[in-house]
Amino acid sequence: MSDMPQPGLRRRLAFPIDKIPLLLFAALLLFFCFQAPWFLSWQNLSVILTQTAPLAILCFGLACVIIGGGDDVVSGGIDLSLPATSVLAVAVVSIGVQLDVSIFLLALLAVAAALLAGLLNALMVVRVGLPPLLATLASSVAIVGLTNYLARQRRISIDAPWLVAFRDGDLLGIPWAVWFMLAVFVLYQFLVHHSRWGQHLQASGGSREAAELAGLPFKSLMLHSYLLAGFAAALAALTLLSRGSGSSPGAEEPLLLEMVLATFIGTAFSRRRVVTIWGALLGALLVNALSNGLALMRVDIFWVGTVKGALILLVLSAAAVQRRGQL
Amino acid sequence: MTQSLHRAAAGGLFMRHIRKAFAGVAALDGVDLTVHPGEIHGLIGENGAGKSTLIKILAGVCTPDDGEISVGGRVLASVSPAAVQQEGIRFIHQELHLIPHFTVAESVFIGQERSHRWGGLNRRAMRADSEAFFREVLNIRLDGNRLIRDLSQAELKLVQIARALIDGEARLVVFDEPTAPLEAREAALLFDAIRALKARGIAIIYVSHYLNEITQICDRVTVLRNGRQVATLDEVKAEDVDRLIALMVGRELTTLFAAPAAQADTSVPWLTLENGGGEAFRQLNMQLFPGEIVGIAGLSGSGREQLIDTLYGLYPLRQGTLRIAGKAVKLRSPVQAIARGIALVPRDRRHHGLIQPLSVADNINIASPQSLSRFGWELKEKARKNALALAEKLDIRPRNVRQAVRYLSGGNQQKVILARWLNSHSQLFILDEPTLGVDVGARAEIYHLTRQLADKGRCVLVSSSDASELIGLCDRLLVMRRGEIVADVPTENLTQDGLLALTSGGSEQETPL
Repeated sequence: MSDMPQPGLRRRLAFPIDKIPLLLFAALLLFFCFQAPWFLSWQNLSVILTQTAPLAILCFGLACVIIGGGDDVVSGGIDLSLPATSVLAVAVVSIGVQLDVSIFLLALLAVAAALLAGLLNALMVVRVGLPPLLATLASSVAIVGLTNYLARQRRISIDAPWLVAFRDGDLLGIPWAVWFMLAVFVLYQFLVHHSRWGQHLQASGGSREAAELAGLPFKSLMLHSYLLAGFAAALAALTLLSRGSGSSPGAEEPLLLEMVLATFIGTAFSRRRVVTIWGALLGALLVNALSNGLALMRVDIFWVGTVKGALILLVLSAAAVQRRGQL
Repeated sequence: MTQSLHRAAAGGLFMRHIRKAFAGVAALDGVDLTVHPGEIHGLIGENGAGKSTLIKILAGVCTPDDGEISVGGRVLASVSPAAVQQEGIRFIHQELHLIPHFTVAESVFIGQERSHRWGGLNRRAMRADSEAFFREVLNIRLDGNRLIRDLSQAELKLVQIARALIDGEARLVVFDEPTAPLEAREAALLFDAIRALKARGIAIIYVSHYLNEITQICDRVTVLRNGRQVATLDEVKAEDVDRLIALMVGRELTTLFAAPAAQADTSVPWLTLENGGGEAFRQLNMQLFPGEIVGIAGLSGSGREQLIDTLYGLYPLRQGTLRIAGKAVKLRSPVQAIARGIALVPRDRRHHGLIQPLSVADNINIASPQSLSRFGWELKEKARKNALALAEKLDIRPRNVRQAVRYLSGGNQQKVILARWLNSHSQLFILDEPTLGVDVGARAEIYHLTRQLADKGRCVLVSSSDASELIGLCDRLLVMRRGEIVADVPTENLTQDGLLALTSGGSEQETPL
């Protein structure tokens, strides 16, 4: 119609808006470089990368669910129970190691528990029809309760030889945890962005009607995405275990916020402005670099929360403004 | 990929003696349709003539009571969506169903992606194949890497076509109102693509309300009226538009309508729109007078829906001035529109008009709760009596106003909405498709109520796709086409043929190219 140029114009106006979080991050990182020269040292970068591993792997899982369910924060796909699931897996393994159970059996148990959590979430969302936000928030609370019951809210330290090797060892100067993160990245990147399954998942998240019309089974696609997310939570448990040398209560809380933040920040890295695995990796790195930089500058720990919360708001507002521009 | 289009030449489509009745009413009564390879066959008829039922039967969505379908000389044993797809029959629906953040190539290959032997997606092949398809089959250049959200309406339509045809197995393609969202220039682009398909020997069924398009692009035309096949013309020329209209219409106006009590006073308009421009319309001038029922006619895509939504504050008015009772106003939301005295009876009453779980009384009283409450407390008894009085006046059945509104029939639900607004102090009533899905009896009552509103000195604006309703109910009609008002005519002496000619751009020799 005659108004055809209108959306294009609006989109051009909206273009810098979604870059705001990125620009802000870039400015902050630059600021750290000047204020804390230690920030750019190899040793510190290695610390940031190692610390990012659990968050990044959780973000890959969350990205699968968001890509398959749509990126609307309220009605789209989301899985808030991933950090809780991961911490549950950590607790199970820690308790098992203390009881001298075989590590293979424990790994199997951890993966099974995580997949079960994913399956439960998927059934709640796909079969019962609960909004993913509520369903996974509820299951998160339940899973945290289960973890506390099992671990009695104690810290359980373990120093099994395999864990020490994974924690302290490196290959070509790069810690094992980073290699592990990269391997998981390659796996998820392939599944979501380079396989037919991933293409179908993106289609069902993009438009359910379009997916159905093309004969794609969006219900089973969504189920798969929750299972894949649960699997990611189990994988993240290994890096969490090595980072904390065991299980500690309440570890899921900071992860939850950072996971959602990092995954949505990732949209700023994609040409199509959608959630991607690659974006989730970069988002996780950014969030951790930010925490690290603030800590190096000895910023009050309570301010760190405020800064992160403000960033979430900024990213979500940018996304909302941008979406409004598209209508 | 292009060489595999050879299947197209294998044979045409024959639909014989197709019958279908819904609840005893014949929707299709022995319709025959033959479409040869390389032929563009127009399918026309008024709303409710049976076009969509016929298309649904062909798509396997709807089972005929009688008749048979054969493709390429073989009778189809079962007609299911999957079987139809297998036979090479493809549908280009009105809705695009495309994903905004997908590329053109991804959208074309959705559900039938190309992979490397090692399992990864072969993006290069998908891009090359989709671009080759656009170039060689549809005669157009389109970059396979562009995002869907950056495309024009015409390009989106072409992507939709490519998606249906990319497997090279298509023998028959059904286009359902393909040009509705397109500008004339874009429609020309689409016609080129359709002619290119025809040249490849693909059979095409083309459904459209725009009769000048039908005469331009179709080789033969089948006309349906009230479920019957009125005629199949073996040749159509531009001069045939009036003949097609005469074949499509053929119903008489019934005495459903009430005459106005007095001639409306058209000296001082209550609402004026000067040079209005907004979502899908432009340069609009209109005046509404108290006591007058004004209709808006126009095909889907004419901007009719957007105009009334704008008057109700759902879309912003981008250009021009809106005056209400002489004062220039801006309506930014329905709340402001209601405050200015505008009431809307929406088309989709189940979702937008009524609160289904609430009672009839609550739904009637919802627009005027002030007088029914004291210090914020709702006066239950007074509210119930008020609702009951209105229910009696409007003959809402059953008369129990405590019943949840969801159990009422369509016609009675519509009356509940009318009752709600009768109750209010609104000055302008916008009725959007007021009798959609309403039976004839309730329809007459709704028409009489509408006339009563006008006789009380209110303005009434009716938007409808039913030609007989517009002519019978309204005093004056605004005819919209492609975002503009092309005629402002009294309904006296206006025939359905005349109206159809105005909405579809028929007898005026205006070509869209």
